[in-house]
Amino acid sequence: MDPEILEDWDRRLRGLLVAVCLLFAVLFLRLFHLQITTAADYAKESEDNRIAQRRVKAPRGLIVDRDDEVLARNRASYSISLIRGSTEDDARSVAALEEAIGEPVSYSRRSASVRLKRDVDFQTVALVEERLRGDGFPLHVDIEPQRDYPYGELTAHIIGYMGELREEEAASATGRYLLGDYVGKTGLEKVYEDSLRGVDGVSYVEMDARLRIKDEHPFPDREQAPIPGHDLRLTLDLDIQRAAAQAMPDTLAGSVVAIDARTGAVLAMVSHPSFDPNVFVSYRAQDERRQIVQDSHRPLLNRAVSGLYPPGSTLKLVGAVAALEAGITDTLSTFEACAGSLQVGDVVFRCNNRDGHGELNLLDATASSCNIYFNHLALILGIETWHEYGRRFGFGISTGIDLDPEEQPGLLPDRQYHIEREGWVTGHLMNLVIGQGYMLVTPLQVARYAAALGNGGVLVTPHFYGEAPPTQQIEGVSPETWETVRLGMHRVVYGENGTGRRARVAGIEVAGKSGTAQGPRTNDDAWFVAFAPYDDPQIAVAVVVEDGGGGGATAAPVAGAVIRAYLEDQARRQQAVSAETLQTPEPGS
Amino acid sequence: MKRELDLSLLVAVGMTIIFGITMIYSAASGSTLWRSQAIYAFLAVAAAVAIVYVPDKLFYDLTYALYAFGLLTLLAVLAFGTGEPARWLSLTPGGSLRIQPSEFAKITTVMALARFLGDRSSEQVVSPRAIIGAVVISMIPIALVSRQPDLGTAVSFGAPLIPMLYWAGMRPLHIFFLVAPLLSVVCSFEPLWQDQAPIVFALYIIVSSVVIQLLLARLWVTLSMLAVNLSAGLVTVYLWANFLLAYQKARVLTLLDPERDPLGTGWNIIQSRIAIGSGGPTGKGFLQGTQTKYEFLPAAHTDFIFSVIGEELGFMGAVFVLALFLFLIWRALYIGTMANSRFASLLAVGLGSILTFHVFVNVGMTIGVMPVTGLPLPFLSYGGSSLMTNALAVGLLLHIYAHRHEY
Repeated sequence: MDPEILEDWDRRLRGLLVAVCLLFAVLFLRLFHLQITTAADYAKESEDNRIAQRRVKAPRGLIVDRDDEVLARNRASYSISLIRGSTEDDARSVAALEEAIGEPVSYSRRSASVRLKRDVDFQTVALVEERLRGDGFPLHVDIEPQRDYPYGELTAHIIGYMGELREEEAASATGRYLLGDYVGKTGLEKVYEDSLRGVDGVSYVEMDARLRIKDEHPFPDREQAPIPGHDLRLTLDLDIQRAAAQAMPDTLAGSVVAIDARTGAVLAMVSHPSFDPNVFVSYRAQDERRQIVQDSHRPLLNRAVSGLYPPGSTLKLVGAVAALEAGITDTLSTFEACAGSLQVGDVVFRCNNRDGHGELNLLDATASSCNIYFNHLALILGIETWHEYGRRFGFGISTGIDLDPEEQPGLLPDRQYHIEREGWVTGHLMNLVIGQGYMLVTPLQVARYAAALGNGGVLVTPHFYGEAPPTQQIEGVSPETWETVRLGMHRVVYGENGTGRRARVAGIEVAGKSGTAQGPRTNDDAWFVAFAPYDDPQIAVAVVVEDGGGGGATAAPVAGAVIRAYLEDQARRQQAVSAETLQTPEPGS
Repeated sequence: MKRELDLSLLVAVGMTIIFGITMIYSAASGSTLWRSQAIYAFLAVAAAVAIVYVPDKLFYDLTYALYAFGLLTLLAVLAFGTGEPARWLSLTPGGSLRIQPSEFAKITTVMALARFLGDRSSEQVVSPRAIIGAVVISMIPIALVSRQPDLGTAVSFGAPLIPMLYWAGMRPLHIFFLVAPLLSVVCSFEPLWQDQAPIVFALYIIVSSVVIQLLLARLWVTLSMLAVNLSAGLVTVYLWANFLLAYQKARVLTLLDPERDPLGTGWNIIQSRIAIGSGGPTGKGFLQGTQTKYEFLPAAHTDFIFSVIGEELGFMGAVFVLALFLFLIWRALYIGTMANSRFASLLAVGLGSILTFHVFVNVGMTIGVMPVTGLPLPFLSYGGSSLMTNALAVGLLLHIYAHRHEY
């Protein structure tokens, strides 16, 4: 080599090699850290990348009536989701979807997968699957079960509806729910949410970066099958429910409640006007939902348990029971004569018969619903005794039906209640005893009251599902008293001057009591309570028609229709049972 | 005339290229990219061997002409470049055949530097005029390429400067003077050190000044270096705080911390780190990399081919690749000590430096110690221009080796 260029290259080579080795040492150490020291963490991240844990939703339990007619079921619903990317990519995908389906899409970019459109039709599903996905938009179609209520309006208030879990609810739901889940919002869907819901399962799926599925079951051993929700078989009888709904005047609001007088099992519960609960589970019916929520007739209100009404004359039997027990009167003796009006303090109370009923015994006073007669009784009874009997019949407290927390307790005012407001005068009692004044009841409370009047004072707990809750005997009322009151209610329907003659049903003996209550509305609320058959009460009914006018004219026929439906239903049942007995071959024959 | 080929270099390069084609087959499975790469490889190796037979003097004579031509092609890219961003020149109207002139210009720049420094003796090299000349030769292509913009490639033009100055005779201390202001910038860069930035900077200033004073014992040198270092650091702090716009800062910050934007810029680096880390000691197996085959890893067959190797072949495969590169670099530098002229020797060292820089920046990017730049991994990443350039470099090394005994 040329001595001129024979420089200290060997030394410089060592210098450069040291520098190169230092750089490579950095790479080597970092690789060692990644691939040896923390390899497990990255293996986990790599798995998280491609393995998605999927929730396998447990099928929600069905709700059926007592004859297994399906009232709430599940159907498939398709929703479109977006796999989140950059803000611009997301906007592009959403714009493409909007253009394809021709309607605006609202969304929020909170999680990795954004639900854009729920409950879309098959055409949209096809559009997304065939066209948009083909064009590379990161959209996908999810199938999820959606609740369906085949009888819609007819059972809306009982079954309730489901709705999307709200954020604040999700926080308190201890991880069982995810935001966007559907949960029971009202009615039995809400009350029995836990048992209807079941337990969700877990499955795994392997996906690539564009969320295309590569393996449906990468870990069959780690998967958990869902546990389906329990089905609910209600005490409700759809035939009676339907009859009750049809008997209600179409144009007027109100409620009908029919319960088994022995057990409290609810056979029918109608609240009018009603709404279609399917509107609330569907994502396509936003406008209809708004319309329902804003409707001034308040169709969402379950009037049977949340509607508060003055009970009118249906309540007079509380006074009757109290007076009989107090020995103020008996079955056949007449009492102070009705002159058409009565002055108590400064106020003159008038009877429904302006000319006066004359002298009446308890039975006739019940049958003709004489106000003045019961005013006279109340003057002797006093507010404390009357209030005590009202309480024993369960007024002023919730019945405990499994529709909590919708049920209202109503109001049974006592002396204190009035003192705290405008002060006590005996006139208040004159109003209370005929079911007016501050007295407020729910139709369900009144149905239970009717049952207790019919069955000798057994206070039942109304319920839709499960074993009948224990009943409670009203204390301190003699069988003779019950019999007298029952007889009075019989005369209401069958007596010459009975106000409830329109509740008569061929083939079954009905007892009842009408009411015509002055409420906040222009017209009176029409009331009728009944039980049947008279000898062995099986069904108790309460009917209220807002603005309905006279109870005997408007409400009594509705109660009659319900009892007729019950009778027909019983007959069908008998037939079915005897047919079954005939078909079953005798053992050994 | 019979020429002696450096078989060890040729075999190592051949192994690396074949290894690369194999990994491209996995990274872009389902496509025929590996076949195109094989064709490029065949042409490239043939070209490399052909270079050996070029007369020795020709390269030296043509150096400045080639350098000028290289600059012209870079200018042409700025004027007629295609691609997004525009880094290519179309050779055919449709653009089906296109080249990346910045790749070829790297070689011509190293040649120009080698000639410029080789024409001067060790003593002359340390003169300010020589150093300024060398810096200018590097800065022209850097300026042109950063206009494309392609920051990674631009910086790679500067990479051979320091090693070549060192090789040409510069003392390490002088090199330190040269890079001290750059170190000052790094040490004062707040996002890199966060709250510790003032401490790091102060420490650097004190230590560098003390060392210089102890080594040279000349107060005016120490003080002027102190002044230069301080101003470089303070200007950095000022520019960062007042000059950069928010989005520019965000881009820089994402380079340093990809987690800031996990779905955007940070995605590549996060997924690459996951791929390599999850490879573990022995890898998931050839064609079995889930990060690769499920497309979590972007640009798997080009910029992130090393991540594929790390994922599928694990630590062993990655270290094997590093060892191959270490051998190639050593071989390039070693050939530099055998060269028949200062020019040839400096050229070999310059080519070795470019290789080192590319390997360090690309592998460093995949494992998260260097920012994401578009620099390919030599011989392994898919791409004709890169492969051809690297083959030309190998051809020059083979040439220097073959002609080592000719004076």
